[in-house]
Amino acid sequence: MFKLILKMAWKNSFVRPVRTLLVVLMIAISMGMMLGIEGLYDGMSQNMAEKNKRSDSGDISIFAKDYRINKELKFRIQNAAKIEEELQKNPQIRSLVLRLSADGLVSTARKSSFAQARGIDLDDEEAFGKFSEFLEEGELLLGDKNAIIGIELAKTLKVNVGSKVVFSTQDSSGEINSIALKISAIVQTSNIILDNNALFIDKKKMFAFLGVDAKDATQIAIASDDAKLLNILKTKYPTLDVKSFFELQPMMQMMEDMMVIFNSITFFIIMSVVFVGIFGVMYVSVLDRIREFGIMLAVGMEYKYIRLQIYFEAIFVGLIGFFSGSLLGLLLLIYLRDYGLDFSAFADALQSWGYETIIYGTIKLSYFTTTFLAIMSASVLSVIIPLRKIKNLNPIEVIKAEK
Amino acid sequence: MIRLQNVNKYFYKDEPREVHALVDINLIIEDGEFTLFSGPSGCGKTTLLNAIGALDTIDSGKIFLDELEISLLNEKERTRIRLNKMGFVFQAYNLVPVLSVEENIGFIMKLQGFSDAQIKERVQEVASLLKIDNKLQSLPNTLSGGQQQRVAVARAVASKPKIILADEPTANLDSKNSQTLIEMMLELNEKEGISVVFASHDELIKESVRRIVRLEDGMLV
Ligand SMILES: Nc1ncnc2c1ncn2[C@@H]1O[C@H](COP(=O)(O)OP(=O)(O)OP(=O)(O)O)[C@@H](O)[C@H]1O
Ligand SMILES: [Mg+2]
Repeated sequence: MFKLILKMAWKNSFVRPVRTLLVVLMIAISMGMMLGIEGLYDGMSQNMAEKNKRSDSGDISIFAKDYRINKELKFRIQNAAKIEEELQKNPQIRSLVLRLSADGLVSTARKSSFAQARGIDLDDEEAFGKFSEFLEEGELLLGDKNAIIGIELAKTLKVNVGSKVVFSTQDSSGEINSIALKISAIVQTSNIILDNNALFIDKKKMFAFLGVDAKDATQIAIASDDAKLLNILKTKYPTLDVKSFFELQPMMQMMEDMMVIFNSITFFIIMSVVFVGIFGVMYVSVLDRIREFGIMLAVGMEYKYIRLQIYFEAIFVGLIGFFSGSLLGLLLLIYLRDYGLDFSAFADALQSWGYETIIYGTIKLSYFTTTFLAIMSASVLSVIIPLRKIKNLNPIEVIKAEK
Repeated sequence: MIRLQNVNKYFYKDEPREVHALVDINLIIEDGEFTLFSGPSGCGKTTLLNAIGALDTIDSGKIFLDELEISLLNEKERTRIRLNKMGFVFQAYNLVPVLSVEENIGFIMKLQGFSDAQIKERVQEVASLLKIDNKLQSLPNTLSGGQQQRVAVARAVASKPKIILADEPTANLDSKNSQTLIEMMLELNEKEGISVVFASHDELIKESVRRIVRLEDGMLV
């Protein structure tokens, strides 16, 4: 019986092929578009998150208490080297990097700007976040007199590779000190804060310049995929400020939250399209076949079997739509993942937000599972009203109408 | 055996346009009988047939199918009785368009839960009696009107119901096809012993049947 009903439903889905095709197309196109946009948006925020992690915070960063509020040298992690040693034993940690930063003023003969001098070790940064990939211009060199500058800061100061700048800040004893530096490279990290403010200086030079013990650091950035690590470190170092990426970058958290909202909107748009589409075909199709159902009821078929048949019909149309949409969406997503979408027309606006001009999409299985659920539930919901037509059907009336 | 006792049926009861469609009908239809309901248009043939076939309810009186008082049944029970005890042939649009002739004939048996093998065998049997066994794989819309009605008869007969109710099954057919259908139904009535109740104002049919029940204004005459 079940098989027969399935067969009837399947065949009825194609009784009016053009009608069905239209709905399938409607579902497929809306779904494909939505998947594309979803993938692009996801890709954008993921890319941003990834660059932020690589260039700065990692998955977890450790600071001394109060450092993030008062970026003063006195709030530095004393004897960070010992913590580094401990952390290096943790197999959950992929890599880590220690930095010594100081806020100050960078100036040329003509211009000056706020800047953050970040004492780094290029080899460590390379291992931690492939620093070399950020290079825009020049050569990644951090000799005694070199500095690498963030792209936006370079623009603000109107400096180029080879230009000279002076950086002044308070050292650990409270004295204002300056160093003259030559720009060896310009980097673009897509991390707004770094691009706008960062002046990368050799770490050893920083220690000497600031009069800080070489064992100290202002930040320990950790790369790890272990979700439990954060709490472990928080309990292990209660006197320090252990923060996750999202805690440090509330905007990133916001983007993630937006993604959830965005996904629900997608879900509902697809659901509405499917609902309207299938409702339309099923309604017309049920009206078309009212006599057929009347006869079925008259000869003793129970209403529940007819209902089942209608549900199957709607689900078939929804499924075909889903598969066509998946195919379309997948092709679109693969294209977006491999070739990206060029937004250079809006490049300035995007870059100032830390986005790249070419945005690459991501593909996640969840896009398909959510839309699948959306389509299936819309299919089932869409036949409720058409079904009522049959439920209230009096076979006698229908049979009589034949004459 | 079907027994009707003082059956009354109204449409628009207690309204000015009230129609007293069946008036104190008393009637017995024996097993294996072939009965023709005849009378002018609007006399109540369809209404009577629908009442006997448990398609419609009545306002007073009793209808028995053997010992079962079918006029007392609710909607669901009537559906079950129709499925298991009655066969129906209507004027047109009897068949499920997306199913083959074979599946249409076996449809009721399938609903009743017969196995595929049983259905296949029985479908073959009735299809050859009705001379549509060469059309089993066709879809209904590729068949002529006469063939389609024969498929409908085959479907009604296949499940071996107590009674077949046919409401003007020949109305859309030419006289030759009508004749063939009647003859086949008579033959089936004899061979299978299934009662047939037939509503028609076709003069041709009157000559072929033994029992004619005449109705006029809802009354037996
Ligand atoms: N559903 C209905 N609602 C209201 N009145 C009805 C309904 N069905 C039948 N009637 C009325 O009941 C009476 C009997 O109708 P019925 O259809 O039984 O006649 P019939 O003998 O089958 O006619 P025909 O030969 O034209 O098919 C008629 O007066 C008809 O108008
Ligand atoms: Mg009639």
